[in-house]
Amino acid sequence: MDRKQFLGNGALSVLAMAGLDRINLPAASDFIVPPTLRSGDWIGICSPAGFTTPEEIAPAVKLLQEWGFRVKIGNSIGKRNFNFGGTDAERREDLQAMLNDSSLKAILCARGGYGAVRIVDRLNWSGFRQSPKWIIGFSDITVLHSHLSRQVAAASIHSKMCNSFPDDWSKADDIQVASILSIRDALKGVRFEKKIPSASQNRPGSGQGLLVGGNLKTIESLAGSASDLLTDDRILFVEDTGEYRYSVDRMFWNLKRSGKLDKLRGLVVGGFRLKPDDPGEEFGKELEEIVLEKVQGYSYPVCFNFPVGHQKDNIALKCGVVHELSVTPTETRLTEL
Amino acid sequence: MMIKSPPYLKKGDTIGIVCPAGFMELSKVAECARVLTEEWGYQVKMGQTVGGKSVNYFSGTDEERLRDFQTMLDDSEVNAILCARGGYGTSRIIDQIDFSGFRKHPKWVVGFSDITVLHCHIYRNHKIASLHAPMAGAFNDAGYISRYVQSLRDSLEGKWAKYNCEPHPFNRQGEAIGELVGGNLALLTHLLGSDSEIKTKGRILFIEDVGEYLYNIDRMLLQLKRAGKFDQLAGLVVGGFTEMKDTERPFGSDVYEIIRDAVAAYDFPVCFDFPVSHGKENVALKIGAGHKLKITKTRVLLEE
Repeated sequence: MDRKQFLGNGALSVLAMAGLDRINLPAASDFIVPPTLRSGDWIGICSPAGFTTPEEIAPAVKLLQEWGFRVKIGNSIGKRNFNFGGTDAERREDLQAMLNDSSLKAILCARGGYGAVRIVDRLNWSGFRQSPKWIIGFSDITVLHSHLSRQVAAASIHSKMCNSFPDDWSKADDIQVASILSIRDALKGVRFEKKIPSASQNRPGSGQGLLVGGNLKTIESLAGSASDLLTDDRILFVEDTGEYRYSVDRMFWNLKRSGKLDKLRGLVVGGFRLKPDDPGEEFGKELEEIVLEKVQGYSYPVCFNFPVGHQKDNIALKCGVVHELSVTPTETRLTEL
Repeated sequence: MMIKSPPYLKKGDTIGIVCPAGFMELSKVAECARVLTEEWGYQVKMGQTVGGKSVNYFSGTDEERLRDFQTMLDDSEVNAILCARGGYGTSRIIDQIDFSGFRKHPKWVVGFSDITVLHCHIYRNHKIASLHAPMAGAFNDAGYISRYVQSLRDSLEGKWAKYNCEPHPFNRQGEAIGELVGGNLALLTHLLGSDSEIKTKGRILFIEDVGEYLYNIDRMLLQLKRAGKFDQLAGLVVGGFTEMKDTERPFGSDVYEIIRDAVAAYDFPVCFDFPVSHGKENVALKIGAGHKLKITKTRVLLEE
């Protein structure tokens, strides 16, 4: 009886929280979608997390220019404070200047690493709201995507960053080229659609909702904070790299136990390059089992091996835009609506 | 909120030993069992998850670990449950444990590291004190004669804890009174947003960790901060952060500098290098019990 009571209270508090969130949860139609880019538009490049140099971003700058865009290089490029692209203040000021800059139509984060969470609470979004622009990146930049979704209600682009642009475009392989070109397509307003053959452990079905997600570890590290990702009625995508199986399992438990898997419209599992178990510490479950046991009891579609993650095949996804996920026994399709 | 303290142990009482998370060989628990019976005068009931037939990371399947823990929890002859080791796995079973019998007849749940899940969950949902303390491995190689393992014995017997430690240059002086909460930093952040989330308002928080990257420690502290866990904290006890790892290019601050900087904007007292850790220095701490933390220039005192 006590247990029932406890469960009852738990359920109540979850409902109360969900109710509160729902009041603040903007409808899909309320999301700010930054304008599509045209030739001659400006894209800013900055380092809100890890450091990088002008030389390292040169291939990206060259390609963006070839696509017809003009590039503004931020002060944090070339700055270094240990692993950071400058001190917290330098990185924040650079990103803030770009958020406020009404001439910019997009901000491409040079790389991830670690550090966005150190500055996110001090960013002011009023300038961004006046002149919305696409914020582009992944990995540690998941902090910005999640924060944008939760606090600003704005769409953004989850994709490769400057450090993944090939040095020599002519020698890049097809997958690399496709991943990079998908950024251009997203900026130019090409409607997104990706079809891949279905993985055997997929759970068929279809669902529609705002697409949200990113790096799993980063999403977990935002739990309880002002940037905590809301997932009700949304399609969630997750990816990660270099984590042990037990750690991925623990992160999925965090999603589940914090209610993030309860009301999804779909779950897209991207690349997870797992760290091999230490000898004698075999976890005994593969990724698919780790995921599927957490979503038992729900009916939304689940797909694996979607081309998003710390890998060559990492196509640009629009967070905060309504998509449809359709999973059949033969094909998985994610479509922007 | 009144925290209920389970009855202290008397000679002849029974301690159940289980592995709710990672696997542990029976031979590595043998010395602990010997000391508990021969030296401390208790009886031991060995759970089926200790040295079980599991071949993978866990001490048994989720069902086996759940059943073993549940059995000990409901067994009226068991007066305390000692988790033999941590590892990973308590999160996988915590929501299925039935605490109704335990609420009527509380007993000490003992352990640390992954067992932080149990401590946080029990404190938050059932308001019963538990013991963050050395586990079976700490008894081996004569470890049981250390003051750390002895502090577990004292706590089980009902002696009120009173720990002194050397001052650290980063300490922030002051005095705090509140219920003691805390555990492993990675687990505390992992539990945020869940039904087992830690409560810190008006309380004294202790933290420790092992084997993490420095940038990740920074991120976890920011997470606690951004989740409001430092806002009305009475005091902070920073334990050992052992075997820290750094990126190829250094993070730029050592672990205590990271922690000092993360709480710089608050004024609660803080002490560093308190003997709670994954190393040998790991005193028994009674989670949920009222404590006083007193930090002066010359000493640090944490007492019940």
